[in-house]
Amino acid sequence: MKRITLGTFIFGIAIAFMASTNDSTAFAQDEGAWGHLTGQIVISGDAPKNAPENLEGAAEKDRAACLVDGKIPLDDGIVVNDKKQLRDVYVIMYEGRGAEVPEKFHPSYDEKKKVKLTLDNVNCRFVPKAVFVRAGQTMILKNSDNVGHNCHITTFKQEHNPNIPPNKEVELQVDDASDKVPGEVRCDIHKWMDSLILIRDNPYVAISDETGAFRIENIPAGTWQFHFWHKKAGYLDTLEIEGYEPEGRKAVIEVKIENGKTLDLGTLTLPAAAFED
Amino acid sequence: MFSKPLHFALLLAGLIVVAGCEKSPPPNFRFNSVEWLKQERLHLSGDDKFDEGYKQEIGSILTTLFGTPDEPKFPYLLGEDDPAHDVIGLDNLKLAAGAVKSGIEGEHQGLYREHCAHCHGVTGDGAGPTAEVLNPYPRDFRLSKYKFKSTPLRQPPTDHDLMTILENGIPGTAMPSFRTLPKEELQALVEYVKYLTIRGQYERYLISEIANLDGGSIIDLSLKSETKDGEKPSDDDVEEFEDQMYTFIGEGLQEGIIPRWLKPDRKVSKVPPAPEMFDLAHASHEDFVLQGRELFFSKGNCMQCHGQTGAGDGQLGNFDDWTNDWIKTANVDPFDPETYADFIAVGALPPRPIMPRNLHLPVYRGGDHPDDIYLRVANGIEGTPMPASSALTSDEIWKIVAYVKSLPFENLSDRVELPVNDEAISNR
Repeated sequence: MKRITLGTFIFGIAIAFMASTNDSTAFAQDEGAWGHLTGQIVISGDAPKNAPENLEGAAEKDRAACLVDGKIPLDDGIVVNDKKQLRDVYVIMYEGRGAEVPEKFHPSYDEKKKVKLTLDNVNCRFVPKAVFVRAGQTMILKNSDNVGHNCHITTFKQEHNPNIPPNKEVELQVDDASDKVPGEVRCDIHKWMDSLILIRDNPYVAISDETGAFRIENIPAGTWQFHFWHKKAGYLDTLEIEGYEPEGRKAVIEVKIENGKTLDLGTLTLPAAAFED
Repeated sequence: MFSKPLHFALLLAGLIVVAGCEKSPPPNFRFNSVEWLKQERLHLSGDDKFDEGYKQEIGSILTTLFGTPDEPKFPYLLGEDDPAHDVIGLDNLKLAAGAVKSGIEGEHQGLYREHCAHCHGVTGDGAGPTAEVLNPYPRDFRLSKYKFKSTPLRQPPTDHDLMTILENGIPGTAMPSFRTLPKEELQALVEYVKYLTIRGQYERYLISEIANLDGGSIIDLSLKSETKDGEKPSDDDVEEFEDQMYTFIGEGLQEGIIPRWLKPDRKVSKVPPAPEMFDLAHASHEDFVLQGRELFFSKGNCMQCHGQTGAGDGQLGNFDDWTNDWIKTANVDPFDPETYADFIAVGALPPRPIMPRNLHLPVYRGGDHPDDIYLRVANGIEGTPMPASSALTSDEIWKIVAYVKSLPFENLSDRVELPVNDEAISNR
């Protein structure tokens, strides 16, 4: 590997990026043919232990509202159940250069985008912990607590910070800008509160649930690239998937979606070492 | 995705090393070592370090695209038609950059170094020679965040916003007014600040990508060149090279950072006219202020940070985004200097908690016109915990502005405490 070295080196590059990335003949999307993608993510090895949240600095009145059953809740950065199934992994259709992306999304996603997506604050925790929002979609930012919160959303392309009074909700229409990786949601008043948010136009995204399971519906039939991302581990390049090998720095796999069929990736295993620094 | 071809002809560039000068060498942009250290801590274990070669490579890419403090350039990647010409004009950059020169009638150059660099630094890193003794610290432009502007969060300020700050200064800080400079010189400085911002943000982006490179080059020129034996590069190599160019220059800069500054992409917040009752002479003005006071303690949630008396003594111990940016790195405790000594060693300024404004003092950094205060409440303040008042109507915001404007005159020894977040006032 050669680095660009400082010095007398004169480099000349005259490149025209080909406009063919958007060329409709570049790939064929089978009109009206759709399939689904599923799988279940577990970890191998010892699940990291979560420490209690640090409630220091919270006002006395707020402290009471922030306890769960009278106790300080545990940090929920890595959530696995007793079967080691891993929650909050984003499964994302890869959109980098060279990746083919669908020309059309399934019509059901137009309807889904009209639904307002709720992000609640309960006992000084964002519920749910991880959300996926379509670019331009409207969110309902709710506060079920009797203390005030703000909802400070910071992603690569967007930032919003509405104040949410106690027991109230506000609507927020996110901008029409798509991010590649999730950003974070925080409350500046209660500093331990955090949540994840991916804002993107391409709807082919899923977040693994309590059982580590994910399902992405109505993907156009064809060959597409996906990758997996977790807040504490980044792109999951050590994820073991039978028959697939995550490739490159963005840990991408290529899957073939067939009309009317569900491609089940089975059990995807993430070595717990992925969470170490 | 790209729809227009990008011409990289401008990347034809020479990096000239001046050796053996008699004068002191021209200043260089300072590398963002704080971001470097932060990314090392984020992605490497123990005492592992990134390959130092990346510093050179990032420096070369930045010099190629943005030039030097004496010879600035701007990456107009679409050539003459690039809409970025509306954001930054090369003539203005040249007027603001370089060493201070005057003497010839009508020629005055080096404006940035004359007026700004001693606080904001040659690089715009907010770490000029005087920075450490100022409170608040001078702005570090490289995070691309601006507090006082007419646009919502994450929307860059307008030229008018930046011009207003240059003309008025920032009351309560060391930022003075430059009203006496000719308008053309102020405009050149506005564009130079945008240039340093875009350059600095792009540098941060490049550093943040190192961890994803697995030791490979950012842009590996050897992929594109013929071998010593005159063999043409393989298709795979050319594709990989184009992939690198796309990722780091196309996606990172051309699609990612620059478009935010283009006018069509930018929203400017409108301030609706104040209701009649906002007028001090209006018969119901006092009631209007009292309603603002109730909102301050209920739906506005203002007292949470600004405190029960509005003296700025509520929520403490927060930091602004410029500080949060690196103190949130693992194992850094902003209240324990030993945990961040290595950050200070590479140029970070000691963290200071951000203070919610004491509203009893009639000093308003973003301007004291009611419209200014309205914008601060309505949009929030970028880079700080101050949120946008999305739950309030414009009428309610005006009530809060009226109360805030009345606070310097409130008699603190004779005030009636309001219940905080009481259900009764919450639901009004």
